[in-house]
Amino acid sequence: MSLEVHREPLSFAGMRRETIITIVVLAVLWQTLSFLSPALGIPPFAFPSFARIGASLLTIAPLDVAVTLARVLAALAVSFVLGLGGAMVMYRSQSVEHHLRPLIRLLMAVPVISWILFAVLWFRGVEFRIGFVLVVVCAPVFLVDTLDAMRGVPRELRQMMRSFRPTSLQFFRKLMLPAIVPGMLTSWKINLSLAIRVVTIAELVGAVTGIGHQLAVAQELFSVADVFAWTLVLVVLLFLLEALLTRVEHRALRWRT
Amino acid sequence: MADVSGPPPIQVRALRKVFQQAATGSAIVAIDRLDLRIEPKEVIAIVGQTGCGKSTFFDLMIGLETPTEGSITIGGKTPYGDFDHFRGQIATVFQQDRLLAWRSALDNAKLPLELLGLSEGQQRERALGWLKRLGLERFAGAYPHELSGGMRQRVAIARAFAVQPTILLADEAFGHLDEVTAAELRSTFLDLACECGSTAILITHQLEEAIAVGNRIVVLGKSASLLADIRVADWTSAEYPVLREAIQATLQGNTADARLARTSRG
Repeated sequence: MSLEVHREPLSFAGMRRETIITIVVLAVLWQTLSFLSPALGIPPFAFPSFARIGASLLTIAPLDVAVTLARVLAALAVSFVLGLGGAMVMYRSQSVEHHLRPLIRLLMAVPVISWILFAVLWFRGVEFRIGFVLVVVCAPVFLVDTLDAMRGVPRELRQMMRSFRPTSLQFFRKLMLPAIVPGMLTSWKINLSLAIRVVTIAELVGAVTGIGHQLAVAQELFSVADVFAWTLVLVVLLFLLEALLTRVEHRALRWRT
Repeated sequence: MADVSGPPPIQVRALRKVFQQAATGSAIVAIDRLDLRIEPKEVIAIVGQTGCGKSTFFDLMIGLETPTEGSITIGGKTPYGDFDHFRGQIATVFQQDRLLAWRSALDNAKLPLELLGLSEGQQRERALGWLKRLGLERFAGAYPHELSGGMRQRVAIARAFAVQPTILLADEAFGHLDEVTAAELRSTFLDLACECGSTAILITHQLEEAIAVGNRIVVLGKSASLLADIRVADWTSAEYPVLREAIQATLQGNTADARLARTSRG
């Protein structure tokens, strides 16, 4: 774990001036393009004005956002438990590690789109398909990160702990688990943005609810304003979740400052 | 926890530890047939040059490693084979403080008590008591990074004493501290060890420390061969400079210096 992690709080109130300038410039550019598009021969739906995007935002149903969020969080929770459990077993047994390592590498090498196709071919339930894709993508990341974090616990500390003769359970609970908390929080951040991006693709195929499904609908209707609005919601959702995680991190890692 | 009968004697017989080097496969003899007996409540300093196998000896004493040949027995039991038997019996102060960064001083000091399964109240009371003895009561809630090196080592000492072990081990525990702090902590350590009636074994490479500490100084040469076994009581404090030089010469020549012969037991 690096001590010099550059941590910029992702809250909107605390935005830097440069960040605000960039956003404003992009917004002005977009608005100008939407204004000029008829004159430039660009189809009018390509760059909808902010008024139209705003109108689209107002039509967004909170249900779809909630459904997507629930899928992401549930799948992340399952992935985390599987990853942590797998890592603990692999940490304790070299033989298990040698058997599982190639499998994990294989899982991580398969493209997301292939998983989605497999899920459609193998399983029936929509929720199960989405859950499967998310877990199969995120769990190996949690596992590898956890195992790395465990391997990173200094030998000196492990020996100190063992010199007091703990049980295996105590060894994990009192030393290994607290020691890997910083690594785990980083892993959650990585997996969160991974899951948000994967869930939308998974929802594009076959789901009838969720942000991904709404994106598919918007695409069929050629409504760039809707696509833009949903994308905005996704990005804001991710930022909010990351901000939440950062707060958790500050609380959990008070001892580090 | 010390039973009424006091700590058991430690018997080291023909102890041998060989490591296989991972890269070359060649064998390295860290300890070659060491014989040593340590009586209950003895305070003993082990000196030797870096790489003489002192730390390996400690790992074997703690039970983190198993001997290649020979044995270490503590009251008839082996620290590696009867690992769980020695829970709450042996405590070690290491070279670095080895505190857990996410625990406050108090929580670090009570770590071994948590492992022993004492009640929360007992843990707190005992750990706090030892922190107080070491002058840290005002810092009980501080995290390690908020403490100086000397204070952190004090917490590590409190953590070891909180166990109330029958055998205390200190592996160059004061070596990296400034001299004033080291001397102070060393004497605190010895007073406490004496008060608790524990057998104390200190590893050091500093001869002043060895002479200041021990009833007994064991000088180890290459592969932990026993070069000299000195009873400090046989020397008057006026003779300490001679003793110091003799040990120095012993370490350099890897053979017992003649001046040590008159008092050597080994």
